[in-house]
Amino acid sequence: MSEYVASLMTEVKAKNPAEPEFHQAVQEVAESLALVFDRHPEYRHNKILERILEPERVLMFRVPWQDDQGQIHVNRGFRIEMNSAIGPYKGGLRFHPSVNLGILKFLAFEQVFKNSLTTLPMGGGKGGSDFDPKGKSDNEVMRFCQSFMSELFRHIGPNTDVPAGDIGVGGREIGFLFGQYKRLRNEFTGVLTGKGLNWGGSLIRPEATGYGCVYFAQEMLGTRGQTLEGKTCLVSGSGNVAQYTVEKLLELGAKPVTVSDSNGYVYDEAGIDREKLAFLMDLKNVRRGRIKEYADKYGTAVYTPADPKLDHCPLWSYKADCAFPSATQNEINGKDAANLLANGVYVVAEGANMPSTIDAINQFVDARILYGPGKAANAGGVATSGLEMAQNSMRFGWPREEVDSRLHRIMKDIHSACVTTADRFGTPGNYVNGANIAGFLKVADAMMDQGLV
Amino acid sequence: MPSSLVRAGFRDYQDLMRYRILHILLVATPYDRFLLEEAGELSERMLGEFRNLDVHYAPGLTGVSTGAEALEQVRRQESINLIITTPHVADMHPARLAAQVKQIRDIPVVLLAWDPSELNGPAARQGSSIERAFLWQGDARILQAIVKSVEDWRNVEHDTRSVGVQVILLIEDNVRQYSSFLPLMYDELLDHSQRVITEGLNLSQKILRMRARPKVLLCTNFEEAKRAFQTYRDDVLGIISDVEFPLKPGEQPHPEAGVRFAEEVRKHYQDIPLVLHSSKPENERLARQARARFLLKGSPHLLEDLRKLLVQDFCFGPFVFRREDQEGEVDRADDLRSLEQKLHTIPPESLFFHGRHNHFSRWLKARTEFAVAHALRPRKLEDYKGDADKLRSDLIQAITDYRFERGQTVVADFDRDHFAGLGESGSDFYRIGGGSLGGKARGLAFVRRLIAQHGLRNQFDGIRIAIPTTAVLGTDVFDRFLNTGGLRAFAIDSQDDEELWRRFLATPFPEEAERDLAAFLARVRQPLAVRSSSLLEDSLHQPFTGVYDTLMLRNNAWSVAERVHQAVRAVKRVWASTFSQHAKAYLQATAFRLEEEKMAVMLQGIVGAVHGPRFYPDLSGVARSHNFYPTSPMKAEDGIVAVALGLGRAIVEGGACLRFCPRYPKHVPQLSSVAEALKSTQRDFWALRLDGASDSDGDGDGDLSMREESFGLDAAEADGTLAAVGSTYSRENDAIYDSLARPGPRLITFAPMLKHGDFPLPEILRTLMDVGHQGLGAPVEIEFAVNLQARPREFGFLQVRPLALAREMEVIEIGEVEPGAALCWSQRVLGNGRIEGIQDLVVVDFQRFERSRSREAAAEIGRLNNQLLASGTPYVLIGVGRWGSRDPWLGIPVTWDQVAGAKVIVEAGLRDLKVTPSQGSHFFQNLTSFNVGYFTINPEDGQCLLDWDWLDAQPAETARDHVRHLRLPEPVLVKMNGRKGEGVILKRDMEEPKR
Repeated sequence: MSEYVASLMTEVKAKNPAEPEFHQAVQEVAESLALVFDRHPEYRHNKILERILEPERVLMFRVPWQDDQGQIHVNRGFRIEMNSAIGPYKGGLRFHPSVNLGILKFLAFEQVFKNSLTTLPMGGGKGGSDFDPKGKSDNEVMRFCQSFMSELFRHIGPNTDVPAGDIGVGGREIGFLFGQYKRLRNEFTGVLTGKGLNWGGSLIRPEATGYGCVYFAQEMLGTRGQTLEGKTCLVSGSGNVAQYTVEKLLELGAKPVTVSDSNGYVYDEAGIDREKLAFLMDLKNVRRGRIKEYADKYGTAVYTPADPKLDHCPLWSYKADCAFPSATQNEINGKDAANLLANGVYVVAEGANMPSTIDAINQFVDARILYGPGKAANAGGVATSGLEMAQNSMRFGWPREEVDSRLHRIMKDIHSACVTTADRFGTPGNYVNGANIAGFLKVADAMMDQGLV
Repeated sequence: MPSSLVRAGFRDYQDLMRYRILHILLVATPYDRFLLEEAGELSERMLGEFRNLDVHYAPGLTGVSTGAEALEQVRRQESINLIITTPHVADMHPARLAAQVKQIRDIPVVLLAWDPSELNGPAARQGSSIERAFLWQGDARILQAIVKSVEDWRNVEHDTRSVGVQVILLIEDNVRQYSSFLPLMYDELLDHSQRVITEGLNLSQKILRMRARPKVLLCTNFEEAKRAFQTYRDDVLGIISDVEFPLKPGEQPHPEAGVRFAEEVRKHYQDIPLVLHSSKPENERLARQARARFLLKGSPHLLEDLRKLLVQDFCFGPFVFRREDQEGEVDRADDLRSLEQKLHTIPPESLFFHGRHNHFSRWLKARTEFAVAHALRPRKLEDYKGDADKLRSDLIQAITDYRFERGQTVVADFDRDHFAGLGESGSDFYRIGGGSLGGKARGLAFVRRLIAQHGLRNQFDGIRIAIPTTAVLGTDVFDRFLNTGGLRAFAIDSQDDEELWRRFLATPFPEEAERDLAAFLARVRQPLAVRSSSLLEDSLHQPFTGVYDTLMLRNNAWSVAERVHQAVRAVKRVWASTFSQHAKAYLQATAFRLEEEKMAVMLQGIVGAVHGPRFYPDLSGVARSHNFYPTSPMKAEDGIVAVALGLGRAIVEGGACLRFCPRYPKHVPQLSSVAEALKSTQRDFWALRLDGASDSDGDGDGDLSMREESFGLDAAEADGTLAAVGSTYSRENDAIYDSLARPGPRLITFAPMLKHGDFPLPEILRTLMDVGHQGLGAPVEIEFAVNLQARPREFGFLQVRPLALAREMEVIEIGEVEPGAALCWSQRVLGNGRIEGIQDLVVVDFQRFERSRSREAAAEIGRLNNQLLASGTPYVLIGVGRWGSRDPWLGIPVTWDQVAGAKVIVEAGLRDLKVTPSQGSHFFQNLTSFNVGYFTINPEDGQCLLDWDWLDAQPAETARDHVRHLRLPEPVLVKMNGRKGEGVILKRDMEEPKR
């Protein structure tokens, strides 16, 4: 197998020079699918991997625009239409000076499997530009967005390609892009997701990732006949993901005891209840204050400032049942993982993107705890994009409860896809394998079904 | 109109009397010099005379004995620009000397004869290079007259043309006569000028005005006099003429030349005063025919008569209102103010009479009030067609406008008996007690003048640009206080701030000053900032900003006595801060001695409005006309502004605020992404709390400085002040929307002003930065505050000071740096030049630093700094995070005195945090003005490096918990190129010392 991967990689590198990020992504996927290719040579025979790593279409175009002083600038626009085997291309647009073909191909490639894992009908894509929004006026950003869409509009559509936001593309940019698309096409359709609530956006977007992560944890516990009721939970972070993780945990009867920000964390032995959560939300969202104020306000909580000298994070050293890393990358290293296991934690659900180091993941997998990797556990965010598309297609907006219950349904589906797949490939309980393989299989099978296209 | 007049006036006063006699070379035999010295200790005399007349200026004087020496001196000493020679020079005849001098440089040579007979030689003849001859008659004032006369001739053309300085023609061919007449005239002129130039002016203004005194042009023949008259006829204040003098140079005197001249003048100019003088009484008849006054030369009261004439005819006295053709006096006005008052009641015929003869205009000109004089002169009487009321109201209006505008440019001495409140006659800046205003108040006075000169006050519709009402306690009050009971010596030696404060509190406040304060506070009831304004503060090279205390007074007690009590305490507090341990430590880093420091104190109305229990301005800010870190499309010279809702504390201390470039107000880098905007914009604001405990609670240390409090944005929204500056974040849409129309967390983006032009903040700031830059001739820093609640809206221009940049930068080439040779290299460097010989480094290690303990690190640095300062050892300070940060999480919160000994400061990124250079106002100002090099290192930028490993490997002289002091075996070499913003610190000085 590694021979297969090695020869594949040689070809990939020769064909796609100067795209190191893309090479890396292909290699990781290929290696994680070793089990699949061993058992199912038909994928090899049909050159599924070779086909899947070649974008169905790459669009690269000129984006000229004029700044407020009348100077002319030219940026490069991209759209990688990676795979549409299971649905219209779907993936974000990124405006950042670091954007180039290799990075976008890498992101588009990963997006294919992420989207597939949600069980929703969404293909994979990614796009953007090397435009730097920093220091640009609203008008300049608008002119850029309009110029960008003036080319992109002919390649996308609600049934073809549905871009979303990413770095540098927020609500403002989606608005400008949507407005220009609508003007050029003379039609109001769900061609972009991340739209304003009053013009086609979906509810539950800020909540989706946190809620979804908790639903996923609940499902994992369900495999052992347990629920979150009464479980002590460590939560890191205090942004959207962490806040709504805490909210859903409270709803499901669990007892969250920690939250953190870049300066430090609080440990509230008595548990963060609804009132304290409301205070936390006001503190973080409205007053934009420091988490320390939580401890100043509630005597039951202890504040510990972040200590860069330490080789671990003490937040993960409390006695608990579940951990919800919801802050940032690599926040759980090997030592933290050991501390978690030593303190009885047996559920880890990743709300953040790649919060655990390889070392930590291996420890979790080896200890056979319920470890829900980010690509499965935090798929709620991606799923809501799919729900936005669905609502747009129906020209109908669901109320919160409806979106939430559909999200819940999706997370259950993702969970069961992971469990089933892991079982099928002889690694029961291994959500890492389950997630990697399930995402791939759905796309691969669809490609097989649809013939050589 | 009035503002432009004042503008023209003030600028040109500065510009008057450009030609100055700087250095006189006196060529005389030792004996002649002995005589002169004997007669009045010559150089002392010169100095004394000039000091009386013209405070800041007296020419130097060098004596030599021979022509050869004189020529040598002329060659050697560039500054010599007048030569006075006696006829008895051993080796050279004066005429030859003069001719030879002219070959070297064009310097006027004046002959000073001892005896009239000496004047008949060739030197005094026509065609000689001798400019003028004078006769020594034992009165040293002749020297002053010579100097003034030479200067007047050279300056007259420029000065009359630029502002209309007045001219008196003195026609006299007799050397003896004019040698006695001229000193007398100058004496009278200067004396009168000094007396009339009093109203509403301070000393330095008066000195400036003295330059505008009338000039005396000495003419010795008809031809010369006629030419002079024709050239300056519109500015001739009067003519004093001999009756007999030559028609042409070199000719014999004509017996009726003066009369003929008078008749010529009268043909076209009925109202120019003429005085004829003669030794022959019978000439009086001729004078009368020419409608001229007559003076008898032989009269024992010639001097007295001349004085009378000057007062009456040359307008040096009060303005005497008369009726047409009647000698009888209707009324008189002593100064502008009373002129304005009397104009209301003067009968129409008198108004017309004076109007027709240009009396108002001439009287004003003689008082050097050219601006208003010019405004009045073009008003032709015919325009009024007999409408006396219109004439009257126009005259009054012109004078009122002018006085108001001038009030804006002058610091008036506080007059408690006449203080009627704010804005009366336009003045809002007062000095209490004598002495200096101190640096800060001087700056404010300058701002005030800029506003008036450039007509800024009403330049923007519906907005008034002004300084806040201010009273300054001059340094004399400080001195008087310190001279009580040995307080000064105690304060200088005191090591204990608490004890110092107790003594200050117990020492009585100077009585006069307290009475003035009471009068001021009886009228001024808004909250006050009590600010230091020491001699050293805000000067270009030693700014001292933030060293001394500033206190906020609510000033809202019912009784004046209580408010005076509070103010007195606050003033004492500021005085005491002059001697605090903090200030002493700071001063030690400078070249100044504590004894030299004197403290004036400003009591300044705070710009703002009452909102429930709070008082604050809608926004405060600091604008710098030079941006050290411009991002495209901005350029460094476009400047950068930091603004915040509420009091300016957030900005001064480097807290969260909004930074924008006034040329590109819609390009705000901070608002480029939603996340950045949420992180970096203001979360709270500072206001003065009006309720709560009294200002003077307790008798000991009632903490006066703690009146400022921070409030959340919800308070601002409730107060209604958020709408003008706020935006809303939508979590659902992940977007920021201008205005508060939608629900959601509020952000301070200033979008309504910057994007939608609700208030022309960028335009105003651009204008002020231009004006400030022009005024100071350097990039400037401007403090301001805005109160939108007032009508008209109030833009408080609080301060302008030079933003210290090395202006004449020596270009330092950084060149190639060998790998491993550099300790530190960056393309974000402030400062310019080479710094050699530093062997000591104070290092806060990347590995050791804990953000949670940055306060301890600051204290350790302070202790090391004091040790190094005490031993006079300069050092390089290297650390992580923002230096001087207010937020201890972002860096090490040192105050300036804790790092004052550092010659170079290196600011490196934290491991988990990118450092944005803070540009915290005071810290930054100190940095640039102490010429401390500042390196910013952000490894992810790629364009810099800092060799932590090498530092780590160096043995420590002392190592504390957070800080290490290294003494390197060899000194480092620092090179900084201020133009490119590039710099390097080399591990050792491997370059040859350059001389």
